[in-house]
Amino acid sequence: MTGGSALLRGPERLWPLLVVSVGLHAGFIAAAFLVRPPPIVDLEQKPIVAKLVKLGEKRPEQWLPRREAPPPEAAPRAPDAVPVPVPAPAAPPAQKTVALPAPKVAPSKPPPPRPASAVTGGKGSDALSRALDKVRKDEKLASRERWGDPDGVPDGEAGDASEGDRYLGLVTQALQASYRLPATLSEQERLALRATVVLTIEPDGRVSSFRFERRSGNAGFDQALERAVRDARLPPPPPELRQRYRTVGLGVNFKV
Amino acid sequence: MRTLVILALALTAPTLASAQRQYIDVGRPDFRPLALAIAPFASGPGASADALDAQQTMRDDLALTGTFDLLDPRSFLADPAEGTQASGIKFPRWSDVGAEGLVKATVKREGAVVAGELHLYDVRAGREVLYRVHRERSARALAHAFADDVLQFYTREPGVFRTRIAGIRKGRGTWEIVLVDADGKGQEVLRRETAIAMLPSWRPDGGEVLVTSYRGGKPEIWGFRVPDGAPRLVVSLGDLASGGVYSPDGRSIAFTASVDGNSDLYVASADGTGIRRLTTDPATDTSPTWSPDGKRIAFVSTRSGNPHLYVMNADGTGQRRLTFKGNYNQTPRWSPRGDSIAFTARDERRVFDVFLVSPETGAISRVTQDQGPTNEEPSWAPNGRLLVLSTDRAGRQQLVVTNPAGDRQKVVTSDPAGISSPAWGPLPR
Repeated sequence: MTGGSALLRGPERLWPLLVVSVGLHAGFIAAAFLVRPPPIVDLEQKPIVAKLVKLGEKRPEQWLPRREAPPPEAAPRAPDAVPVPVPAPAAPPAQKTVALPAPKVAPSKPPPPRPASAVTGGKGSDALSRALDKVRKDEKLASRERWGDPDGVPDGEAGDASEGDRYLGLVTQALQASYRLPATLSEQERLALRATVVLTIEPDGRVSSFRFERRSGNAGFDQALERAVRDARLPPPPPELRQRYRTVGLGVNFKV
Repeated sequence: MRTLVILALALTAPTLASAQRQYIDVGRPDFRPLALAIAPFASGPGASADALDAQQTMRDDLALTGTFDLLDPRSFLADPAEGTQASGIKFPRWSDVGAEGLVKATVKREGAVVAGELHLYDVRAGREVLYRVHRERSARALAHAFADDVLQFYTREPGVFRTRIAGIRKGRGTWEIVLVDADGKGQEVLRRETAIAMLPSWRPDGGEVLVTSYRGGKPEIWGFRVPDGAPRLVVSLGDLASGGVYSPDGRSIAFTASVDGNSDLYVASADGTGIRRLTTDPATDTSPTWSPDGKRIAFVSTRSGNPHLYVMNADGTGQRRLTFKGNYNQTPRWSPRGDSIAFTARDERRVFDVFLVSPETGAISRVTQDQGPTNEEPSWAPNGRLLVLSTDRAGRQQLVVTNPAGDRQKVVTSDPAGISSPAWGPLPR
């Protein structure tokens, strides 16, 4: 051990090198800080958009948007019946098809009034089969009300998001739930209102403090945001992010 | 040395922190309606029916806006002896039933005129915040004036209840250009025609309704003066001229014309002279609508194969496609605040519904859904808070007033012949 690296021969040899090294580093960091302006956070730049994507079939991109229909009541229970970990006694084949998670009895809306006349018209079986085809098509579409993404989660709310951080998605959802504004806001105000709030989030999800990085200029709107932040119940951040949200915080761009 | 290191780290830490901070967007707030109580209107001699009529009409108007949560009259007992002086009003009681605003009014008959006083109170502050007096030709007109006052007070935007909606009422061999109030009532016939009449639109001053009419033997653009319905031929061009719409300043008219079999967009002066062609594409270009600043025009074109929405500058330059979803998009109408275009589209279930598209981003949202096979021809209220459209959800075509989100809709007409092609008129001047 005594005849190893020159750096380890004695503290008297190490000390000048350490001083020079620290000095150079400090000088370099200080120069970088003084010469260059601090990085500007462009608030208009699109931030991370986090959405919890629903589990489901992807809605074709060329289709017009469709509002979410209330999920069928029977749907949540169906998946329980699918995985049968223990030796399954010879189940009749029909049972397997019934146990599919897709809602079999989706609340399909009654077909438009036209099929009735088609059925009773004089065209016979052609008219009848056309009407039945239409009813089947409607039912098929109705059973696919909950569009989503094959990689989504069952309680997601976005229909077409492709990526995002799960925790930020939950935070967005929580803030969204408490984000209420008076309906009397004018249309013009709605166009212009924007504000950015930085939240300090504790490991248990509690917002210990918040501050406005950018105010909207409308006192009523800013107060509504304060209420939204206070009322929101955020989930605890994942362990690897706790330090960051506690020290650096999380920025929230509120807009109408 | 240690101090220097700590100093360097302290100086750089905030910079590094802000650079690392993540930002998320939170939008789509839940708009909370203002809880409003409307106390039974007091009435002068012989005006009790007018008071009841005015009260109900005002209530219906304000309910239509979605801005107010009107308290159920059964949820409170209004004390008539309370009067209209703020000092005599028991505000804590109104607050207890959840009211944030309180409306009181008195209605009187003055010959052929219905006169009324409106009082609006801020319940929390315990004081009167608005007082207005109106003299109108009917109780309904009085109520519309009151509703506009209240809406304007809270939103600082003009109310739309004294505006009119033009539409086409199809009879047996007749086409009537009708005008109705914003609540679908008070129908008047501006002009009864025995030739096909369609696609009405207003001059910005409310003095004329443009209609595509066959009264000259082919589709031409005619103007019908308001209120007497006197006709004038505005534009006749090629085989067909239709869908005339005034520019926001009222000086120009954009329209569709088919010359030599090619349907394109044109613009003319308000008197029909100085016709200029804006599009030359061999596909069908039709249905122009002006942006509120008059600098751009949105329209429908089949140049991509199916009807889609396009946008261009008002001189015809800078044409670009706006919609890429759906395969049958038509009847665009640019919103008064300019950030949205309402249109009709056929969805994958082959039903027609009303949608909104942002002229900047192309993002589409839906207004109607699962409400009958056809919801179409949207038209914006002049304050941009409401839309009128026609629907067959209840059988014959009727008019629906809705907010742009589509979550507050009301079928406002129940005409036995049906009314279609609504065009919401301008604010009264």
